[in-house]
Amino acid sequence: MPGPPNRRSVLAAGLALPLAGALGACTSGGGRSTTSAGPVRITFWSALRGSQEVVDAFNRGQNRIQVVFQQIPSGGQGGYAKLSNAARAGNAPDVATIEYPQVPGFAIDGVARDITDLVSERLRNRLLPQALGLTTFAGRVFSVPLDIEPMVLHYRRDVFDQHGLAVPRTWDEFAELARTVRDRLDGPRICLFATVPSGGTHFAAFCWQAGAQWFDTGDGAWNVSLADAPTRRVAEYWQRLINDDLVISGPSEGRQNDSYIQQGRLLTRLSGAWDAGAQMKARPGQKGLWALAPLPQWDPARPALGTHGGSTFAVTKDSAHPEAAMEFIEWQVSSPDALRARLSSGTSSQYPAVPDLAEVGRAAFDRAYYAGQDIYTLFDQEAAKIRDGWIWGPRMTATLSVMQDGFARAAAGQGSLIEAVRAAQAGTMPDLAALGLATSEHTN
Amino acid sequence: MVTVASPAAVPRPAPVTRSVARRGERVACGVLMAPFFTLFVLVFLIPVGTAVWLSFFTADEPGLGFGPERTVFVGPRTYQAVLSDPTFLRGLGVVGLYCLLYIPLLVVAALGLALLLDSGAARLRSLAQFGLYLPHVVPGIIAAIIWLYLYTPGLSPVVDLLARADVTVDFLGVHTVIPAMVNIALWSNLGYNVVVFYAALQAVPREVVEAAVVDGAGPVRTALGVKTPLIRSSIVMVVLFTLIWALQLFTEPMLLSQSSPMVNSRFSPSMYIYDAAFTRNNYGLAAAASVILLACTIALSYGVTRWTNRSAAGRKATS
Repeated sequence: MPGPPNRRSVLAAGLALPLAGALGACTSGGGRSTTSAGPVRITFWSALRGSQEVVDAFNRGQNRIQVVFQQIPSGGQGGYAKLSNAARAGNAPDVATIEYPQVPGFAIDGVARDITDLVSERLRNRLLPQALGLTTFAGRVFSVPLDIEPMVLHYRRDVFDQHGLAVPRTWDEFAELARTVRDRLDGPRICLFATVPSGGTHFAAFCWQAGAQWFDTGDGAWNVSLADAPTRRVAEYWQRLINDDLVISGPSEGRQNDSYIQQGRLLTRLSGAWDAGAQMKARPGQKGLWALAPLPQWDPARPALGTHGGSTFAVTKDSAHPEAAMEFIEWQVSSPDALRARLSSGTSSQYPAVPDLAEVGRAAFDRAYYAGQDIYTLFDQEAAKIRDGWIWGPRMTATLSVMQDGFARAAAGQGSLIEAVRAAQAGTMPDLAALGLATSEHTN
Repeated sequence: MVTVASPAAVPRPAPVTRSVARRGERVACGVLMAPFFTLFVLVFLIPVGTAVWLSFFTADEPGLGFGPERTVFVGPRTYQAVLSDPTFLRGLGVVGLYCLLYIPLLVVAALGLALLLDSGAARLRSLAQFGLYLPHVVPGIIAAIIWLYLYTPGLSPVVDLLARADVTVDFLGVHTVIPAMVNIALWSNLGYNVVVFYAALQAVPREVVEAAVVDGAGPVRTALGVKTPLIRSSIVMVVLFTLIWALQLFTEPMLLSQSSPMVNSRFSPSMYIYDAAFTRNNYGLAAAASVILLACTIALSYGVTRWTNRSAAGRKATS
C-alpha cells in the first residue's frame, strides 16, 4: 500500500509542472510556425443564438479549418461599434455577422471585403435572389445572407375566433378591423405602431412592401428619396390609425410592450418570420393562442412584401484566409447540418436564405405552440412575395434613428410621421456628403 | 504675468547684477511655466490640431463608396455638411435654450444664497454651506442616474405622490425635458458657486459695508447696492465658467436618452459629435463639429468678457 507522498516529491512535482507547461508551450509555439499542413484557424464573431453549436458542428465535421467563435453583443448594443473599432485597429475577425441594413455601411467603410469572386456558383443559385440582392451593390457581393425574414401577421387566434373577427387580407380590411376592435372590445387595440428602438425597420418594411425605394444606386450615385409617393401613402395610413386611437404607439421593446402582449392588449404583431420563435421563447404561457397569416396587402392581385430582420455573414478586410472564411460561411448558410445545429440551441423560426433548407426548419420546428400550424409552408409562400430591388442606405442605423426620434415625437403629439421621414432624410444627406459619396436628393 | 517694477521706482542696481537677476528670473519663470505649457500642448493644442486636420483631410469615398478610400484634402466640405445638418443646428438651439434657462437661474440663486449666508441672516451657516456643497461632490453621472430615477414614471416616488394628488407630470415630456436637465445641473452646481460667491464676499472690506449701514442702507440695499458690485469679477468668472461648461452639455442628456424618446442621440452638439464619431463612423464630421463647437465657445466667452469689460469701463467713466 503506497503511503502518502512525501514533501519532497510534492515539491518536485510542483516545480516540474510549470516547467513542463513552459516546455509544452515552446513545442506548440514552435509547431505552429512550421505547420503548413495543420488546420487553418479563422475567427468568427456573432451575436446570433446558436452560433456556438454551429461552430462546434463545423469543427467536428472536418479538420482543415478550425473556427474560433466569440459571442459579441448584438449590433445596437455595441456589437457594430466593436467591429468598427477592431477593423480600424486592423484586427477584425475573419467572419463577422452584419444585419442587412448595415451591410452597405460596412462595405463602404471597407470592413466587409468584396467577395464576389469567392461566392461559388452553386451557392449563388441556391440563395433566394432577393436576399442576395440585398448584399450586392453595383454588381459586387459584400456578404452572404443567412436568413431572410418576410413580414407576416401574427394574430391572437383565440380572440379572433371569440369575436368572429376575420383575418384581414388588405390594409383597408386591416384598418376596418382596427376600428371594430376599438369599438367592440374594451381596451385592446389591433397592434402597436413601433417608435424606438426598432420602429424604423418596421416602417421600412411597410414602405418596401408598398413599392417605396428609399435608396437607389443608379448612375453611380446614392439617390435618396425617403419621402417618395409609396412612403407618403404608408405614413398617411399609419398617421390616421394613430390619430383615431386605433393603435397603441410606443416602444417596440421593453417592459411596457411586453406587458401589452402578455395582457392581450395587442391582438396582432406585424413582424418578420423569426418573431414566431421569439414569441415562443418570451411568452411560453400563451401557447395555442397565436397563429400566423400573410401580411395584409395593398393590392392582393399584385402581392408584395418587405422583410424585417435577418442577418448576413461578411469576410472582413483583415482576414488572412478569405477562402477558408468563405468555406465556413457557405457551410453555415447552406448546410442542413448547420441549420439543425442552430435550431438545436432553442426556439428559432428563422427562414433560411437558401429556401431548400426550409424543409429542415419545418422538421425541426415544434408546432405545438401554434396549434399544429405549418408555419414554414406559410413562410415559403411569403418569401416568394418579397419585392426585389430594395436597397438599404450607407448610414442606415443613423437614418433610422433620426426617423424613430420623429416617430416618438409624433406619438407624443408633436409633428407627424411624414415629417419624421423627411427629417431622417435631412439628417442623412450631410453624413453622406461628409463621406464624399456622390449623392442626389429627391423629394417627390 | 510677471510684473517688474518700473526702474524709476527702485534704486538702479549695477548693470551686471541686473542682467544676472534678469536671467535668474527668466529661468525661474521658465521652470514654473513649463508644466503648464507642456500640458497645454499635450491636452489642448495637439488634440485641437488633430481635430482641425481630421476635418480637412478625410478618407474620401467617391461615387458609391465601394472602391478603395483615399485620404485627401476636402476643403470646407465637411464644415458645409455639419452646418447644413438640421440635427446639428437643432442641437445648438437646444444648448442655447439650456444656457438661457440655466445660467441666469444659477447665478441669481447662488448669489442670493451667498448674500444671505454673508448677511448673517442664516443660522447654522457652516451646516448650510456644507449641505449646499454636498451635491457637488456627487459625480455628474451619478447625479443624472439619481434624477433619472426620480423622473421615470413607475419608478419615481415623486411622480407617484403627485399622481396620488391627481397631478400628472411627465418630467421627460416634450416641453419638460430641458427644464428637467437644468434642474439636475442646478442641483449639482449651486453649492459650488455659492461657495465661490461667499468667499468673494468675505473679501469685501468691512468698513465699506459699515459705511453703507451708517449712511442708512438697509440689509437689502447693502447686499444689492454695495456688496454685489464689489464681487463683480467673481460673478463674471462664474458666468464664464458656467457658459463653457453648459455648452458641452453631454452627461445628463446621454443618460436621459435611455429613458426618454424626447432626448435623441444628437440632442446636444457634444452628443452629435459622439454620435458622428462612434455610431456613424464619420470622424471627419465629428472633427468639424468639434471645431465649430470650440469656435462657438471661444466666441461666446470672448463676447462675455468684452461686454463685461466695456460695461465696467463705461461705469468707471460715468462715476
